Amino acid sequence: MIVFKTYLRVVKKCLVPIIIYTAMLILFSSINTSNNDTTMSFTAEKPDILIINKDNSKLSKHLVDYITKNSNIIDIENNEEKIQDAIFYRDVNYVIYIPENYGNDFLENKEPEIEIKSTGDYQASLASILLERYLTSSKSYLRNNITEEELILEIDKTLENKAEVELTSTLDTTSLTKANNYYNFSNYCLLGGSIYVICLILSSFQSENIRKRTIISSMEDKKYNLYLLISNSVFALILWLLYVVISFITVGSIMFTMHGFLYIINSFIFSLCSLTIAFLIGNLMNNKEAINGIINVVALGSSFLCGSFVPAEFLPDAVLKVAHILPSYWFINSNNLISTIEVFDTSSLKPFITNSIVLLAFSALFIIVSIIIARNKRKIG
Amino acid sequence: MFIHNLKYSLKTLVKNRMLIFWTLAFPLILGTFFKLAFSDIESNEKLDIIDIAIVNNDNFKNNEILKESFKALSDKESSDQIFNTKYVDEEEAKTLLENSEICGYLIVLDEPKIVVSNSGINETVFTEVTNEIYANASTIENIVENEIKNEISVPNYDIDYETIINNAIAKVTESKANIKDISSNNLSYTMIEYYTLIAMACLYGGILGMSSVNKNLANQSNTGKRVTVAPTKKTVTIMSSALAAFIVELIGVALLFLYTIFVLKVDYGTNLPLIILLSVVGTFAGLSLGIAVSCIFKTSEDTKTGIIIAFTMLGCFFSGMMGITMKYVIDKNIPIINKLNPANMITDGFYSLYYYNTLDRFYLNLISLLLFSFICLALSVYSLRRQKYDSI
Repeated sequence: MIVFKTYLRVVKKCLVPIIIYTAMLILFSSINTSNNDTTMSFTAEKPDILIINKDNSKLSKHLVDYITKNSNIIDIENNEEKIQDAIFYRDVNYVIYIPENYGNDFLENKEPEIEIKSTGDYQASLASILLERYLTSSKSYLRNNITEEELILEIDKTLENKAEVELTSTLDTTSLTKANNYYNFSNYCLLGGSIYVICLILSSFQSENIRKRTIISSMEDKKYNLYLLISNSVFALILWLLYVVISFITVGSIMFTMHGFLYIINSFIFSLCSLTIAFLIGNLMNNKEAINGIINVVALGSSFLCGSFVPAEFLPDAVLKVAHILPSYWFINSNNLISTIEVFDTSSLKPFITNSIVLLAFSALFIIVSIIIARNKRKIG
Repeated sequence: MFIHNLKYSLKTLVKNRMLIFWTLAFPLILGTFFKLAFSDIESNEKLDIIDIAIVNNDNFKNNEILKESFKALSDKESSDQIFNTKYVDEEEAKTLLENSEICGYLIVLDEPKIVVSNSGINETVFTEVTNEIYANASTIENIVENEIKNEISVPNYDIDYETIINNAIAKVTESKANIKDISSNNLSYTMIEYYTLIAMACLYGGILGMSSVNKNLANQSNTGKRVTVAPTKKTVTIMSSALAAFIVELIGVALLFLYTIFVLKVDYGTNLPLIILLSVVGTFAGLSLGIAVSCIFKTSEDTKTGIIIAFTMLGCFFSGMMGITMKYVIDKNIPIINKLNPANMITDGFYSLYYYNTLDRFYLNLISLLLFSFICLALSVYSLRRQKYDSI
């Protein structure tokens, strides 16, 4: 109890930076989640296209209509610098420039040229499929003396042929992706928050005079460290709880389903693990100033390497292999698994359970190592 | 005296391990993380080969156009390969889809039908390509139909069906869309991340300037009192300290440049003299920021460091360090923020060198940076002039 009381006294002293840091992390992740629709969603089905039409013919209007029906038309001021920027930042995937007199030149078989600018990614390829389909079919129908109306009619006849598409999955992928992004990002916040606060508090316990006083007391060393760990877990739990409560607000109703429940369980296990990591670092370090450096290297490093900021499927394989030695990898792997589970049974949950066991094993390892380090540090002077 | 103070300022700066970590090592570490995380993003956005299945029923076997087209698109030797196709029966296709081994399958009943498990980009490409093949098939049918109608309308007609069909197929396959691609080659948007990194390193350098100038301020430390009572002009002590910080900063930024160019393979474009000019001016802006913070705010060194870090991180956030779209969103909607943001001036300067063919935008950024530096320095001079203490 006396350890816990002292712990609370230290917390009271550092309350302001603790609150600021926690609030900042949580704010950051909620901004990140609400902003995610534009940054991380690679599953848009329609390409974003900008059309600059300088022609007035029916044919070019028909082309514009066709593209409009099959894509998201982006409205940008007709200013070359703005268009260039929009392409660079992928606001637009494909720009189509229809030259003046296109319709007439086309009918007269002068083969007018359409200029395009493309980002060269998935969506741009899709856009180019659309445009090419229209142009090739209009060209195939081109013959002498055909009128604009006839041509449009025939193009329509071709383009209305479409394969029927059947969707088999029942998962609400958009909300699941949102929840997944939020909880993957939590890797940084839970880890960074725990390390910052726990190291800050432990460094007060590490000062020489206080250590001398505790060592000379009748309390057993193992017990003392265990009490300290338990006291620290109070903070880790508060951080986790805050994070979960906010997920209900930012992510929404999907949190009330079985998927949401698993996300919460998984983040709880990871909170325990980050607590032990923080405890280990706190025991290793005596220097208050170095805390900030350590947080950035450990928290940012494992977030970048394990797929917290960038989805794991976009990381190079070699990086992911190395990431296996970090607990964050197993946490994020579980999150990604949860988002794909359709039926909850033992076989679909098995990889999730394995990941959780690995996380708990990491935690146990970190606790043992910290106790050994604490014991070796007992000799002073 | 100038040289003397310069020498000792350099020594104090280099021996401060925390300072060196934040200004020299941290940008290198962060850059390495960027490289590890972002190196594959853009190549992953290109179209991969998509795994699909086709139900091999009689309808499909009898549809020459579908059969031939999918065969051509799944040809492993061809550079146009989009699909990796398995020909199976319906049951097997269902199992493959459930196990996520394929992204979808095609079954030809009366009309072709595509079954997919969710709506991603691969699924869309699969559908669109099928539609394309199907559209071509219908174009051929329509052309043949029209030709036959024409032939029939002439009296004493004699129809050569084979020629008509072959002509129609030739017409469709030979019709190439007349499209000219005029996109720029430098489209790698992850470069922005590295540019913000340089911006961060430049502005973090302000911590060096701040810490170095702080040693000369009477209200900061005992050393400061000692320096102030010495019979040396304030300009000499402050200028030499600032120069020392500038030198350390330049070395840091140069190291970061070498590291990003040779190890991380960052592309800064080809205009080397302007790249160097921009980074020197950026470093100078960082230094001015540091001096201004040091002179204007009358608080402890820790708080001053905090101010510089907070200012820099906020600036980098708006110029796209934590999400490249942020820079675009700000540039597009609230451009004034980024016009006043030194981190963005540096980032945008590199961006315009990399992406634009003209230099107007680059010079605008360069001049803004110089203006920013002079405002900072003017404010510092103003607050340092005739500073006197009766007691501290």
